[in-house]
Amino acid sequence: MLQLDHIYKSYGDHHVLKDINLHVDQGDVVSLIGPSGTGKTTLLRTINYLEPADKGTITINGISVNTEKAKQSDIIKLRRQTAMVFQNYSLFRNKTVLENVTEGLTIVQGKSKEEAEEIAIREISRVGMADNVDKYPYQLSGGQQQRIGIARAMALNPSVILLDEPTSSLDPERSAEVMRILQNLAELGTTMLITTHEMEFAKHVSNKVVFMENGHIVEEGSPDQIFQNPVEERTRQFVRKLEKPLNVD
Amino acid sequence: MDIGFMIDIFPVILSKLPVTLYIFTVTAVISLVLGVLMAFVELKRVPVLKQIFDIYSSFVRSTPGIVHIFIVYYGLPVFLAPFGISPSAIDRLTSSIVALVFYTVAFISAVIKPSIKAMPQSQFDAAASVGMTRWQSLRRIIIPQLVPMTLPSLTNAMVDLLMDTSLLFTIGLTDLMGQANILVSNTLGINQVEIFVTVALIYWALSSMITAVMRFFEKRLAHYLR
Repeated sequence: MLQLDHIYKSYGDHHVLKDINLHVDQGDVVSLIGPSGTGKTTLLRTINYLEPADKGTITINGISVNTEKAKQSDIIKLRRQTAMVFQNYSLFRNKTVLENVTEGLTIVQGKSKEEAEEIAIREISRVGMADNVDKYPYQLSGGQQQRIGIARAMALNPSVILLDEPTSSLDPERSAEVMRILQNLAELGTTMLITTHEMEFAKHVSNKVVFMENGHIVEEGSPDQIFQNPVEERTRQFVRKLEKPLNVD
Repeated sequence: MDIGFMIDIFPVILSKLPVTLYIFTVTAVISLVLGVLMAFVELKRVPVLKQIFDIYSSFVRSTPGIVHIFIVYYGLPVFLAPFGISPSAIDRLTSSIVALVFYTVAFISAVIKPSIKAMPQSQFDAAASVGMTRWQSLRRIIIPQLVPMTLPSLTNAMVDLLMDTSLLFTIGLTDLMGQANILVSNTLGINQVEIFVTVALIYWALSSMITAVMRFFEKRLAHYLR
C-alpha cells in the first residue's frame, strides 16, 4: 500500500535519511521511534513531499513517484493519497473549525458544500468537538486544536495518515485524550504512520514498530519483537533506557 | 482669510474630485496586484527577475516621485514610438497612472515582503498536506491572512499615493491640485491662501476617509488573528 524504496535526503553535508526502505500495508499502524534528530520527522515529510527526497521512489496505493524526476502534478497526486497531523497542529488560522475540515473536501476533492459539511460534522463529532464548529483555532486549547487536526486528516479519507509527534506539545491529560482518539481510529482500520515518543502507544496500539537512528532504519518488527526481543544491540540499548528512564540503580 | 470665497470655490475644486479618485483607484489596484507579485518573486529569489527588481526598487525609492512623472510623461511616447504607438494615443491620464504605478509598486512590495516572511511555514505545510495546489493555498489560506497583516502599512502607502497624485498638475493634469492652480491664475494670485487651504482640507478629508475604510477592513478581517 505504502512503499518507500531507497529514500535519501541530505541538507548540505548532513545526511538525514540514508537508504530508507519501508513497507506499510493497509490497516497497519506503524510507530516510528528513536532518539530525537534521527530523521523520523523528515522521513514523514518526504512521504507527502513537504520535504522533497533527493533520491528514491515513493509508492502509495499504486501511485509511484521517482523523487529524482517528479513533476508537480505527480507530487500533488501522491500528496492527495495522504493527510498529515502536525506536532504544532497547523490549523488554518483564518478558518473556523468546520471550515478547517471542509476546506480540503471542497477545494481539493471538489465535493459540494453540503456533502463536505456532512463529512466534517461526522469527523468533528468523532473527536468530540461538535460543540466548537464555529470557533477559530485561537479560541481552542492545544488538545482541542490537535483533535481538529485529526478530524481534518480523517475527513479527507486518505490512504494513509501521517502523524508527526501528535501529542508532544500537549500535557499528559490532553495527550492521553488524543492517544485514545488515535486508538479508536486504529480500531476502525485506519492506516497510520506515526512518529512518537509515546511508547505505550507504540507497544499497544501499533502493529509494527520501526526503530530509527542516524537516518537509518535500525530494526523493524512487531511491538513484541522490538520491545521484548530486539535483534539489534542498539535497539536493545534504546528499549532498556525506556524501561529505566531515571537510571536509579 | 475670506471664508465666503472659500465656500464659493469649494464646489469648483471639488468638481475635479472624480479625476483624482479615478487616478488614485486605478493606480492603487494595479500597484497592489503588481506589488504582491513582485514581493513573491523577490522572496522566491527568481533568478534575473529578482536582480532586475532589486535595481528597480533601489532606483525608485532613491529618486523623487516628481522626477518619475516627468520621465514617464516625456519618455513614454519616445519609448513606445518604435512599437507603432503614436504619441497622441498616450494622454496625460495614462502617463499619470503609469508614473504613479511605477513609483507605488516598489513601496507596496517593500511593505508586503515582511508580512509574507512573517507567515508561519506551518500554514503553507498544512495547505499542501490537504492536497492544495500552490495557487489554491495562496488564494484560500495565505493571502487571506496576509491582507489583515499588511493593512496598517498599506494604509500609509495608500495615503502617500493620494498625496503623490497632487504632483500631477506639473504635467498639466487638471485634478484637485490642477484645478486649484487654475483658480490661482484666474484670480490673479489674490486669494492663493484661501485656495490652497481649501484644497488642503479636501485632501485631509480624503485621507481620513481612506484611513477609516482601511481600519474598518482591518477590524473585519483580522478577527481571527490573535
